[in-house]
Amino acid sequence: MKAKKMTELALLTGIALVIFVVELQIPNPFPIPGIKLGLANIVTIYAMYHYRACEVMMVVGVRIFLAAIFGGNMTALLYSFAGSVLCVAGMLFLKRIIDSSHIWLSSVFGAVLHNSGQIAVAVFMIGKGIIGYFPFLIVSGCLAGAFTGFCAQLITKRFLKKDISKDKM
Amino acid sequence: MKIKVLYLIAGIIFVAGIAGCILALSAPKTGVVRISQNGMVVREIDISKAEDQFIEMEFEGRKNLIEIKNGEIRVSHADCSDKVCVNMGRLRSGIPIVCLPNRLVIEFAENDFDAVVN
Repeated sequence: MKAKKMTELALLTGIALVIFVVELQIPNPFPIPGIKLGLANIVTIYAMYHYRACEVMMVVGVRIFLAAIFGGNMTALLYSFAGSVLCVAGMLFLKRIIDSSHIWLSSVFGAVLHNSGQIAVAVFMIGKGIIGYFPFLIVSGCLAGAFTGFCAQLITKRFLKKDISKDKM
Repeated sequence: MKIKVLYLIAGIIFVAGIAGCILALSAPKTGVVRISQNGMVVREIDISKAEDQFIEMEFEGRKNLIEIKNGEIRVSHADCSDKVCVNMGRLRSGIPIVCLPNRLVIEFAENDFDAVVN
């Protein structure tokens, strides 16, 4: 791997972590664990459409591990790991079908897949009582996914205009 | 064409989610509350009849204090950092109160559990 690419990936991971830490400070109006905006995923979605599959996995893997440390919540690591694996796998597949002008749609699917992974781990660890959260997570996932997707789409569009990411396409 | 199908799927997922929410929120209250930890039912209490009390739940050294008062149940104290379970307030509908780190779930039991309790 070239040093340039490695720097870019490290930069993306760093940006995602900063967004994650800032988002931690925003009080959550919904008292259900798992419901949040997930602004850090803007970076994931951006990377999804500009880098190769293994590079995206690296960024996401490092990000969720460091995020668990920064957030001081190691139990969350298992949930976000399961969610991310499903989400990244699903979105890498959808990338073949959905072009970059419909990023938000693929982001919605990613968010729903992420929440499904989380619930699966929760059911496995805590018991099936928690399945009552699933519909709420799906609705919040659709909304948050559409929002982060739109943000990523905006970024992609602006970057294309300025030709910054030309050599990455 | 494929995009249209995906729009449709996303729409269906969203509507199904909303329908599930409404279903969960309108789930009938039975008065019998089930407290489970680590996947196993620990207690079942009819909170409409139970007297005011505190129940302490412990998991790997961490504690949740459950309060039953005036026929309502809530987690009044937790020694975790995020306090999600405390912030959820009283148990009112089909949305269970959970504490993820301590693997605690408080929910309304289904009707068929009345027989077990009695």
